[in-house]
Amino acid sequence: MIYYFSFRVIQNNIGDMINGLGLGLFIAVISLFFGIILGLIAAFAAVSSNRALNNIATWYTAFFRNTPLLVLIYIAYFGLPEVGIMMERNASFIFTLSFYAGAYMTEVFRAGLQAIPKGIIEAGQTIGLNRFHICWNIQLPIMFRYVLPSMSNYLISLFKDTSLAASITVPELTYFARKLNVETFRVFEAWLTAAFLYIVTCYLMAYLLRKLERKLRIEW
Amino acid sequence: MLRKIAFSLLVVLLVGIFTISVFAAPEKSKLQTVLDRGYLIVGTGSVNVPWHFMDEKGELVGFDVEMARILAIGLFNDPTKVKFVEQSPDARIPNLLTDKVDIVIQFMTISANRAQQVSFSIPYYTEGIGLILPAGGKYKNYEEMVAAKKNGKTITIAMLQNVDAAENVQTILKGAVDALYETQGLVYQAINSGRADAGAVDLSSILWLASKEPEKYLDSGFSFSPQLYGAAMRPDDQIWINFVNTVFEVSMCGNQYKLYNDAYAKWFGVELPAPKIGKPAMYR
Repeated sequence: MIYYFSFRVIQNNIGDMINGLGLGLFIAVISLFFGIILGLIAAFAAVSSNRALNNIATWYTAFFRNTPLLVLIYIAYFGLPEVGIMMERNASFIFTLSFYAGAYMTEVFRAGLQAIPKGIIEAGQTIGLNRFHICWNIQLPIMFRYVLPSMSNYLISLFKDTSLAASITVPELTYFARKLNVETFRVFEAWLTAAFLYIVTCYLMAYLLRKLERKLRIEW
Repeated sequence: MLRKIAFSLLVVLLVGIFTISVFAAPEKSKLQTVLDRGYLIVGTGSVNVPWHFMDEKGELVGFDVEMARILAIGLFNDPTKVKFVEQSPDARIPNLLTDKVDIVIQFMTISANRAQQVSFSIPYYTEGIGLILPAGGKYKNYEEMVAAKKNGKTITIAMLQNVDAAENVQTILKGAVDALYETQGLVYQAINSGRADAGAVDLSSILWLASKEPEKYLDSGFSFSPQLYGAAMRPDDQIWINFVNTVFEVSMCGNQYKLYNDAYAKWFGVELPAPKIGKPAMYR
């Protein structure tokens, strides 16, 4: 059987798809931002000498890294309202994705913190810097430049994960591709266009992030 | 030398293609394929009462399942000679076009748009869209929702993402926010979790749920939009299409009418009369 392509339906709906793409990018960036904050807190807890903090960090990363993202999305969106916590759909998805991203960032930051040469921290202590200033002025700037490649890769991965938001009616790109598919039954056109937009966006993100990495790389 | 070899290979390839296309046996009809296989493969869903859902024993049951078994009787005189492929609504056409299933019987609305991609059987049911409410929700009926909307309240109506779904929500209640989900199951989850004030679903499902679970669901009393349900098949096989239509026709209006009537009574609670003798029932 021959399939007859007709991209006219894409022409009529490309505006919605591009808007959806923009929303997905926004969600990915915001979620990574909150994920970084959560990841930093959990990473410091993981390397702390306090056993209780270590355990909390371990349980947090174990739960979010071992539960499929779609399951987490449904728990937050359909489950939390049953116990009185109702968030708007976009907020619910960002909330879920932030905690998910935070769990991955915890491991990235933990490795980054442990990679900082001890001598640099001792040098900070020698010149009289307190714990906060050592962390803020020495550890964090070095750690971020170490882990920038991992963070960049994860941002791209997180952007692709935003496609799951369609399952809770967040109007991003996959949602509109599926809407187009069920309304016009142009299966190949809808999904090939969505795939093309994801590929181009990810490629552009990778290119820009690589330039940033080269600029900020530490030359010892 | 290389160019000569390449040219020779091209000629051989073209002759081969021509030979195969001229002398190849005509493609077998799906009817023969199914008969040779010994069982029918039907694409359907598993989360929509009373059409296709899992009963307490974990078996797939429902009116669509009954229509599939009627077809199996027509093929093999055995209602068990059918294998079901559970699929989501947006996989109905792709699974059909890629031959994963022989036929789709999954409360599929017959529409001109869809008929550009697939062929439909004669209709086997006329459905309507109704509004289901959570029993402990803010509104007890449709009139209360309309009044609340007039007073400026935001009303969210969940619905399956489908042809004209967004427009249907506006027809039900102008200005309502639509929440269009991938599966009917998620529509019910949205109602149960308070994500939606009401769900626009099939009237048959509402009547079923309101009678089986009155502590969870209410019929709002609103319904509209008659739509025909048909089975979908690939459009390039007229022999198979004709066969399916014959089986359905005979089961609804012919000597096999008891099969259809019994299924109808079981899943919709309505006893249909036997077809009248004389002019065929479908032309009255």
